[in-house]
Amino acid sequence: MTDGHLFNNISLGGRGGTNPGQLKIYSGGVLWKKQGGGKAVEVDKSDILGVTWMKVPRTNQLGLRIKNGLYYKFAGFRDQDVSSLTNFFQNNCGITPEEKQLSVSGHNWGEVDLNGNILTFMTGLKQAFEVSLADVSQTQLQGKNDVLLEFHVDDTTGANEKDSLMEISFHIPNSNTHFVGDENRP
Amino acid sequence: GDSRGAVKTVGDLVAYKNVNDLPPPRDLMIQVDQKNEAILLPIYGSMVPFHVATVKSVSSQQDSNRTSYIRIIFNVPGTSFTPHDANSLKFQGSIYLKEVSFRSKDSRHILEVVQQIKTLRRQVNSRESERAERAT
Repeated sequence: MTDGHLFNNISLGGRGGTNPGQLKIYSGGVLWKKQGGGKAVEVDKSDILGVTWMKVPRTNQLGLRIKNGLYYKFAGFRDQDVSSLTNFFQNNCGITPEEKQLSVSGHNWGEVDLNGNILTFMTGLKQAFEVSLADVSQTQLQGKNDVLLEFHVDDTTGANEKDSLMEISFHIPNSNTHFVGDENRP
Repeated sequence: GDSRGAVKTVGDLVAYKNVNDLPPPRDLMIQVDQKNEAILLPIYGSMVPFHVATVKSVSSQQDSNRTSYIRIIFNVPGTSFTPHDANSLKFQGSIYLKEVSFRSKDSRHILEVVQQIKTLRRQVNSRESERAERAT
């Protein structure tokens, strides 16, 4: 546990898709470098607020919540990496990773969870998807019950998805009293 | 009280039971999984499944720059119900995903996806309404 862990095939996911790269998790923090150079992500150990694990199709995803409100998602970890890194984060950072579950039921009803910049759509208490409100260019209240989020057009070179999300809208039935007031969120 | 999932209705359709049942990761583009009656949407680097029975309508258009747009509208309560949507009534305290739209440079792919979703939706709807009729 002195020099940390190196992983060669870890993709960074986010708006625009995913990019493969190399991830180093060491006593000082976390360093990810895009394959073939270019983008890099460097996180100091002291800036890590929270760590999550989630089983995603055929692999495991590591979520890092950072002090400045940023949130990174890395995928490509084997089950044995999860246990060794969980120990590493506990011993080295004093952070116990939380386990999240991915919803694959295909339902379109559930709950919306807001945590910092991250909006999570939960179905059956599991995570269906996450979006970052930092990428939202505009919100509109449509009628009394619908909230529309418009996303920035992402033309960065890192974008590699074929189809790009432009808009999402949520319907909040009148019977839902829990989210009253959320219509005006940023 | 927890009314959620207490009663199984014919409309309680689930796309996948396990995370690893999802199709192997391909390009981050809209996919239709006929076998599991699901649509997979690329959202923030993940493929997010929706059962085709949650889809109300799908449409596409193309602009002058040859960019294609696809809009998927989901069933939400408060609009007219078809019999198999009755399960939505159980979750009135929920928030619904109502609509998503994507843009794409590949108009052929978008037209194909729209067609696939429409066909699959028709198949599932007619099967479910037959089942509902038999049950009464």
